[in-house]
Amino acid sequence: MELKSKYIVPVGADGIHILNTGDWRTQRPVLDETKCIRCGRCFLYCPVNSIRKTEKAFVISYDYCKGCGICAHECPKEAIEMVAEEEKACRN
Amino acid sequence: MNTVDKLASLKDMISPGISACTGCNVELTLRTCMKVLGPDTIYAVPPGCMGGVGVVGWDTQSGSHIPVFFPLLDNVASMLAGIKLHYERIGRKVNVVAFAGDGATTDAGMQCLSGAAERGDKLIYICYDNEGYMNTGYQRSSATTKYSWTSTTPVSDAGSGGKRQHRKDFPMIMAMHDIPYMATCSPAFIPDMVAKLEKAMEASERGLAYLHVHNPCLTGWGIRPELSIEVSRLAVETNFFPLYEVIDGTFVINKEYKEAKPVEEYIKQMKKFRHLSAEEIADIQGFVDQKWNRLKQLAAL
Repeated sequence: MELKSKYIVPVGADGIHILNTGDWRTQRPVLDETKCIRCGRCFLYCPVNSIRKTEKAFVISYDYCKGCGICAHECPKEAIEMVAEEEKACRN
Repeated sequence: MNTVDKLASLKDMISPGISACTGCNVELTLRTCMKVLGPDTIYAVPPGCMGGVGVVGWDTQSGSHIPVFFPLLDNVASMLAGIKLHYERIGRKVNVVAFAGDGATTDAGMQCLSGAAERGDKLIYICYDNEGYMNTGYQRSSATTKYSWTSTTPVSDAGSGGKRQHRKDFPMIMAMHDIPYMATCSPAFIPDMVAKLEKAMEASERGLAYLHVHNPCLTGWGIRPELSIEVSRLAVETNFFPLYEVIDGTFVINKEYKEAKPVEEYIKQMKKFRHLSAEEIADIQGFVDQKWNRLKQLAAL
């Protein structure tokens, strides 16, 4: 059998297996920056690593966010609100 | 540097899109662990939730930016011991890490883990304990709490049934192997977990370092996704899963509450305990108190 990869086990040389988990989302977190105190709890607890820390603020990326709502629930200032996805992704 | 800045400066080693359930705190644990352990890491994920969600890859694609193995359920520690010996021989310093579920740790993989601990193989073994075989539909394991509904310990309409035995106190079993480092972690206490991972990295130069992470399973136990972290935190606050570490035989309790919450608060959060009577809750409370008192005695030594 000829291996597609030069390695016996995959090491990511042929690319990373990525699933489009953003499609799962039924509700999206929306951050109100005026209430945010930059404590970073949403960043620490986001299971999908979808919240980035920039120099001034925390930014939510929706590429892979599954919409679990942990960030909104753990926020001490209720600065994150879960908003229903208006248009459900039905690309197929 | 605080934990937020530290984690923000580290690279995520896992594929951005893996198929763990919405809100899964094992995914959070895995990403945090691999961020801290860094690029010089080789890890193995046996069959289980994290093996199934795609971090071990698919066809020739990998699910991680670091080398990852998919061993059998029962040979994780012995396989990694061989890998570590090879790297010691060629003189390269790498973290050799197991990321195994409670089935692969407390049940099937116990004898090879115990052997690796006794031989002093220089591994970091992380167990994500979600109290059952969640990947295949929540069959009971030896880490499952007494009275839990599982698919192999059903509950009757009248509310009797569930698992009949108390769980195995696995962190204590590993501590009694006299390994250099043993610690319990919770995804609700990330700074604590990061500190323990760093200690484990240091201790793994002398022998096996073992971390036991308590991860409430949302889909299996019946918890709403946004409560993922809150339930994990309650497990610690009720002393159901105390956070402690054992450094070269010395017990240190990391989180101690003046007044621990009653274990009922934790139990009420999930569907798997919905059938419990007051006596059964009192039995679990008694078990928790007994374990906590023994831990306090060990920490006072």
